[in-house]
Amino acid sequence: MIMKLKNNKLGWLVSLVLFILVLFPLLAVIIQVVLPGVFFGQLKFGNIGLLLEIFKRPLWQKSLENSIVLACGATLLATFIGGVLAIFRSSWQFPTARLLDAAVWLLFIIPSFILAQGWIMFSASKGIAVHLLGWKWVPNAVFQPIGLIVIMSLSKFPLAYLSVRSAMEWKVEQLSHAARLCGATSFRVWRTINAPLILPAFLAGAALVFMDTIGDFGLPSSIAAIYRYPTLPYSIFSALYTSPIRFDMAGVLSFYLVILIGIAMTLQFIAMRRSRFDFLSGNAIPAVPRPAGKLGWLLATVNLFFLAIVIGIPIGSSVLMSFMQTQGGGLNADNFTFANYIALLNEGSELLIGLGRSLAIAATAAIFGLIIGLLTAFLLMYSQFKFKRAIEALSIITLAVPGVVLGIGYIFVWNQRWLEPIGLLLYGKPIILILAAIAGVIPVVTRLMTGAMAKVPQSLLYAAQLQGDSMQRRLRVVLFPLIRGALIAAGLAAFGASVFDLAVNSVLFPPNYMTFPVIVNKTFEDMQFGYASAATIIGGGIVVLIILLLELLLRRKEQL
Amino acid sequence: MNRRKRQTKPALTLLILSLTTSLMAACGNNSDNSNTRVGMEVALSAPKNATDIHTLTADQKNDEEGTLVVYLNDFDDIIADMFKEATGYDVELVTGNGAEIMSRIEAERGNPHWDVVWADMMPSIHGLSLDGQLLEGWQPNNLSQIAEDFKKYIPSNYSYYPTGAHASGVIVYNKNEYTEETAPKTWAEFAQNQYQDKIATADPAIAAPAFPFVAALFQREGGIDQGKEFFDAWFNNGLRVYPKNPQVVQALSSGEISIAALQESNAYGMINKGEPIGIIWPEEGAPASVRVAAIQKNSKHMNAAKAFVEFLLDPKTQQDLIDNGDEAYFDPAAIGVSARPDRQSNAKLIVADAEWAAKHEAEIKQWFADKAVQ
Repeated sequence: MIMKLKNNKLGWLVSLVLFILVLFPLLAVIIQVVLPGVFFGQLKFGNIGLLLEIFKRPLWQKSLENSIVLACGATLLATFIGGVLAIFRSSWQFPTARLLDAAVWLLFIIPSFILAQGWIMFSASKGIAVHLLGWKWVPNAVFQPIGLIVIMSLSKFPLAYLSVRSAMEWKVEQLSHAARLCGATSFRVWRTINAPLILPAFLAGAALVFMDTIGDFGLPSSIAAIYRYPTLPYSIFSALYTSPIRFDMAGVLSFYLVILIGIAMTLQFIAMRRSRFDFLSGNAIPAVPRPAGKLGWLLATVNLFFLAIVIGIPIGSSVLMSFMQTQGGGLNADNFTFANYIALLNEGSELLIGLGRSLAIAATAAIFGLIIGLLTAFLLMYSQFKFKRAIEALSIITLAVPGVVLGIGYIFVWNQRWLEPIGLLLYGKPIILILAAIAGVIPVVTRLMTGAMAKVPQSLLYAAQLQGDSMQRRLRVVLFPLIRGALIAAGLAAFGASVFDLAVNSVLFPPNYMTFPVIVNKTFEDMQFGYASAATIIGGGIVVLIILLLELLLRRKEQL
Repeated sequence: MNRRKRQTKPALTLLILSLTTSLMAACGNNSDNSNTRVGMEVALSAPKNATDIHTLTADQKNDEEGTLVVYLNDFDDIIADMFKEATGYDVELVTGNGAEIMSRIEAERGNPHWDVVWADMMPSIHGLSLDGQLLEGWQPNNLSQIAEDFKKYIPSNYSYYPTGAHASGVIVYNKNEYTEETAPKTWAEFAQNQYQDKIATADPAIAAPAFPFVAALFQREGGIDQGKEFFDAWFNNGLRVYPKNPQVVQALSSGEISIAALQESNAYGMINKGEPIGIIWPEEGAPASVRVAAIQKNSKHMNAAKAFVEFLLDPKTQQDLIDNGDEAYFDPAAIGVSARPDRQSNAKLIVADAEWAAKHEAEIKQWFADKAVQ
C-alpha cells in the first residue's frame, strides 16, 4: 500500500510521553519487589517468593477473589445498564431525556467515596431506608457481594453509557434499508446490523468499567464502615501502612492488578479481532432520536425512577447530611441546620483556595490529556506502528492502578537528587500534580476517542491524503468534525474527573499546597461529615456549572 | 463553509483562552509560592518575638535557605500561626494520615523533603530512628520541662521527644442499649457472650492510633502468642474491624455496633456533638499512643527545626494545643499543663515499649489483617 500512513514519528513520541507519565512511575513501584533499595542507592535483592504470597495469605487471597468478583459482576451489569440506556436515549425522544445525560455526567465526576457515603447513609441499619421508609430489608440486601456489585454498577455505568452513546452519534441507514428491502424483520436488522456495529463501543465501555472498578479504593473502603469487603486496592493501602513500609508488597499487588488488566484487554482484543467497524461513509447522517409517541411517557417514568435511585440515593443523602447537625440525630426538625454552609462561607477560604488550585490543575490536565489522548487514539486506529498493542495497554493502566501507587512511583521518579541541577526535581512542586492528573485522564480520553474513531474509515483520511492534504489538515478538516461530540465529551470528562482525584493528590501535594479533594477528605476523616458534605456539594456544583457552561458554548455551534 | 469557519473561531479562542488562563493560574500559584518563599527568608533572618526558650545565638540564625517543612497528622489548623507568632519562623506543613505521612517519608528516603515529623505513632518513628534517618544526640533546652513519666519514652540516642499521649482506645458504649453498669469495664469483657456481634475497633494496619492500641494489649498479655489468644477471643465474639476511627464513629452512630474501642478525641468528639454514647476508662488502663517529634538527620533548616521541637515541648504551647486544638484530648508531656476539664482526671494509660512494638509491628498487623477477613 503506497498510501500507508507514516506515523512512526508520532508513535515514538506518544510512546515516550506514556513511558514518562505512566510506565516509569509504575515500574518504579513494581521493581521494589526485586530491588527494594534501588532509588536510595542501595543494591539489595528482594524476596521474589512474595509474588506467590497471594496464594497463601488469607487477606491477599480474599482481596484478589473479591476484586475479581466485584469487577466482573459490575462490568456485566454496568455495561448492560449503560448500553441499554444509551441505545434508548439515542433511538427515541422522550421527556426528561436530558436529565439522564446530566445525571451521567454528575456520577462520572463525583468521586466514588462520596457516592459510597451516600449509599451507606441510605442503607445502614439505622439509615434513611429503615428509619424513614421502614424498608427493613435494605441493609441485608445491600451489604453483601451482590449488593456491592449493584451499587458499583449504578456508580460506574456512565462509562459504558458515554462510550455507546458517542458511537451512536452517526448512522448509515442504507445498510438497514437494504436489509429491510430483502425482507429482514426489524429485530433481525437490529441483531445482524445495528448490534454488531455498536459492539466495539460496548466492549470499550466494558473495559473501562472493569478497569475503574478493579482499581477503585473509595467504595470498598467506605463500605467497610459497615461491611468488610477487602479488595486489592484496599490491601495495597494496608501494605503501605505496615511499618517498615512494604513498597514491595504494594508492588506485588499492583503487579497482579496489571496482569488482570492484561487479561481483560486480551479478551477484548480477541472479541474484536475479526471485525471491522468503520462504517461511516458519505451516506452517514447524524442520528436523531425518533419521537417515542405514547411510549414516551413510559420511558420518562422509567427514566425518572432510575434517576431517583442512581442520583437520588447517593447525592440526595449527601444533601440531607449537609443540613444535619449530627448523623445520629436523624431526620428531625431539631437536627436541621444551615451551620455547615455558614461555616463554609465564613471559614472556608482554605477550601476555596484549594478548589481554585484543583480547577486550574484539572483544566491544564484536561487540555494536555486531550491532546495526548487524541494522538494516542489516532495512532491506535489509523497507524501501522509496531508497538500499538503496548501503547494501548499503557494508555489504560492508570485507570486500574490505584492513584496512591502511581503517586509513590512519581515520588521515586521525580525526587532523585541528580534532577535538581537540571531543574527537573518536580516532586514538591505543583507541576507534579498536573503531570499525575494528565496520566490519570489519559485512559478516559483515549477510550472515548478510539470509540468515536472506530467508526471513521481510514479511506476518508486516505482520500484526503491523496489530494495532498497535510496531516494537520486531515485531522482538522476530516477527522475532527466527525468526532467533535466525543472530543468535547472527553475534554469535559477529563476536567471533571481530575478535580476530585484524591489518591494521587494525597501523596503528592506540595507543602502548604492542599488541593480540594485533600481538604474535603481531611474533613471527612476529622468526622465533620456535615461540613464535608456541604463542601462536596458546593465544589461539585461549581464543577458541574463550569462543565454545563462549556458544553453549551462548544456544542451550540454544532447546530449552526 | 466560510461562514462555518468564522463561527468556529470564537470556540477556538475560548479554548486557547481557557488554556492560557489555567496555565496562568497554575503558574500564578507557583509564583505565589516563590513569593512566600522570599518572604519567609526575610522572616527567617529576623525572628520577631523570640521568647527566652527559643534563644538562638546570632550565629545560629544564619541564612538557612528555604522554609522549614513539617510533616504531621494533627493540629495543622493552628500550629503554623502559633509557631510563627512565638519564634518568627515560617513553616510549611504537609498534613496526612499516618499511612500517607509514612509513605511519603519512606518514598523520599533518597532525597528527603521534610525537616520535622510530628505524629502520634511512636513505634513507626522509632523505626525511622533504627533506620538511621533521624538526628541523634541533640538535647533540647526544654528537656527539663518534660514530666518524669514521659521521660521514659525518650530513646537513649535522643532521636525523638514526646509531646503528649492520648488513649488510642477507651471503651465506648451506646447509651440507648447499655448503661454504665451493663457496659464492659475491662478489655477482656469484650469477649463475653452478651456483647457478641456488637463490638468493634479500628484496623491497626490502616489507622494510625490503632496499632499502639493493639500492641499495648499484646505486650500486656505477655507476648505475641498470648496476644493472639486474647484477640482471638474478640474475633470469635464477632469483632468488627473498621479501617479508621471515624468509621467506627459512623458505625456507632448508625447503630451497626454498640460497643467499641475508640480513640479518645473521637470519643469525646461524639459526646460534644450530642451523640448518645458513654465513655469508660478501664481501671487496668487504656492503651495509649504517644505523639513524638523528630528531626530529619540531614535537614537543611536545622535551626528552625530545633526551634520547632523546643516550641512543641514548651508548656505554653501544649496548653494552647489543649485549649484550641482539634485533637485536644490528651495527656500533656510538659510539666504544669492541665488537660481538658471534661477529660477523665488521672486517666491511666498503658504504652507498648517502642522498641518491642517496632520489632513486632509487621507481624502483628499482618496477623490482625488476615484474621479480620476470616
